[in-house]
Amino acid sequence: MKPLLGTFYLLGMLVPGWLGYDRSLTQQRQEVVGKVVSPWRILETYPYNRYHPMGEIYQWMSEIREKYTEVVTQHFLGMTYESRPMYYLKISQPSNNPKKIIWMDCGIHAREWIAPAFCQWFVKEILQNYKDNSRIRRLLKNLDFYVLPVLNIDGYIYTWTTDRLWRKSRSSHNNGTCFGTDLNRNFDASWCSIGASHNCESLTFCGTGPMSEPETKAVSSFIESKKENIACFLTMHSYGQLILVPYGYTTNKSNNHEELIQVGQKAANALKAKHGTNYRVGSSADILYATSGSSRDWARDIGIPFSYTFELRDNGTYGFVLPETQIQATCEETMEAVLSVLDDVYEKYWYTNSAIKAKSTALVLSLLMSVMSLL
Amino acid sequence: MQLRRQPLSAPRPGDTRPAAQRLAVPLLLLLALQGAAASGEPEDSGWLQDAEPSSRLLSQAARAALHFFNFRAASPSALQVLASVLDGRAWVNQKKEYKFDLVFTTEFYRAEEGEKRLGTCSAQVFFRNDKPRPAVNVTCTQLIKKERRQEEDYQLYKLMKQLKSPLNAVRIPDSHGYIAPSLRPIWNLAFLGSSYVMWQKTTPFLHYFMSQISSVKQWKTNDDAIDFDYTVLLHEFSTQEIIPCRIHLVWYPGKPLKVKYHCQERQTPEEGSGTEEGSAVALTELSNF
Repeated sequence: MKPLLGTFYLLGMLVPGWLGYDRSLTQQRQEVVGKVVSPWRILETYPYNRYHPMGEIYQWMSEIREKYTEVVTQHFLGMTYESRPMYYLKISQPSNNPKKIIWMDCGIHAREWIAPAFCQWFVKEILQNYKDNSRIRRLLKNLDFYVLPVLNIDGYIYTWTTDRLWRKSRSSHNNGTCFGTDLNRNFDASWCSIGASHNCESLTFCGTGPMSEPETKAVSSFIESKKENIACFLTMHSYGQLILVPYGYTTNKSNNHEELIQVGQKAANALKAKHGTNYRVGSSADILYATSGSSRDWARDIGIPFSYTFELRDNGTYGFVLPETQIQATCEETMEAVLSVLDDVYEKYWYTNSAIKAKSTALVLSLLMSVMSLL
Repeated sequence: MQLRRQPLSAPRPGDTRPAAQRLAVPLLLLLALQGAAASGEPEDSGWLQDAEPSSRLLSQAARAALHFFNFRAASPSALQVLASVLDGRAWVNQKKEYKFDLVFTTEFYRAEEGEKRLGTCSAQVFFRNDKPRPAVNVTCTQLIKKERRQEEDYQLYKLMKQLKSPLNAVRIPDSHGYIAPSLRPIWNLAFLGSSYVMWQKTTPFLHYFMSQISSVKQWKTNDDAIDFDYTVLLHEFSTQEIIPCRIHLVWYPGKPLKVKYHCQERQTPEEGSGTEEGSAVALTELSNF
């Protein structure tokens, strides 16, 4: 029965409009508000190369948690402005090893649909491969992954029901005459000093104060509580094909700037090797524009050493409305970049046993040689 | 275009000028201090060369040049997009005029993956008083032979003639980035018209991308030419705003493009832009049309 369903589903994917993938507005409205219209029956056939409304993402999280109970737990972060629950997935291989945390969030800006698609892809890749793939298995020995597939849930839903190009949250201001805070200007990092607006009408409205928004509060209080153990903070956006390091609020550089650039450049090279896509690496102020109150800058300033913003495909041809036909390639190449960063983070904290042995051997040999030269 | 002029000082909270302007002010200070680093330019024009122009600024100027190139070529089958800037130099003077000398590579604006032919362009771009509508001098290598381009334009034109007036409620692309093959010619022609508008609106601090066609008011093909009236959503990068622009164009293969447009003013009152200018231009063009 199941293979048959799988075949039907694959056929369904070829026929646009079949199996509920007709993208009419009413259909979407049904999908998003918790009532789930999910054509896939088993997780194996979940289409990672399509965009999914929030209802489906919530359901996907439950199914992932149920299927991979040995390594996945689902956790509550907080409520959005419109009272929706924010959940993150924790992927952790139970062990006595000391662990460092890798944080990844997607969809802080509602219209950047490729970002939540990548978060889902990332989770799928880790879970489908952690048993067989030595690279991922190694990472999971000492790293825990915390993934927030959609940070700005209210905004994301709004892009499905009303305005595809909405960016901000859906908080209400000025007596209900103006909506939305740019959540990536709302963090407490030189808040609203540059590249942001005090005017609610603006798309870079920084909010009524640093961390004024419930979504920002939920994320920041959690990160703050775990910051000693967080090695890497990744926040996924689109578009522009960039890997950004701190800062946006100043052209000054973080004290580990060289290292961040080096790791970032290596990741960009790994990304390019996959499908030839060019990414540029640099500080936000240098290669993008000045911004204040970003989550990346805030994370770096509270002490998280590796803090990156990824701006995914493309370069402006489709921009936010990236075709679904590009999801797979984008996710594959981005996966290479993220794994490259994670490898470097891993190397930094845990030398492999062979590396330690090699170093010790080299040390002993050099001591011996210096002693012998004295004889 | 109204801009806030402020003395060179540390950024004040709540300063709402577009971020790029804020960076340009210390940049000017840096340039003034560099003084004698100016290379090869006559003293009296007061041009100071930026020793390290940001890649963002160079890309913006390159895109403006390419918008102008695409508009002038008036060829919806041969639209080009920026690949990368190979070499770029930037100058600014006391009158806040900006000058760029650029060499950049381009790609065909095509749906198909794997069509990775690269062209090369060289361009000089000149902005007066950080106003929009830069003066552009641009030449590009021929990515496609003229005869072939004309042939493809004509094929596209024939396809367009067959299209029934669509699609008043349909966005192109749809939310999932999908463009039906039959609607591709419309997308290409819309991009051509938008290129004109984006060239007109680009300043050293504001630059645009085409996001979506939000509606088609009219698609007529009586007589010979394609008469296309539509609204496009432009994405302005430094403010992140979405600007709806109503564009009306007339196209016939091989003929120059006739365009008029009117863009909706942005919501934020402080960031007043040059739409008075824009609509004034549109009004005069309306009467001439």
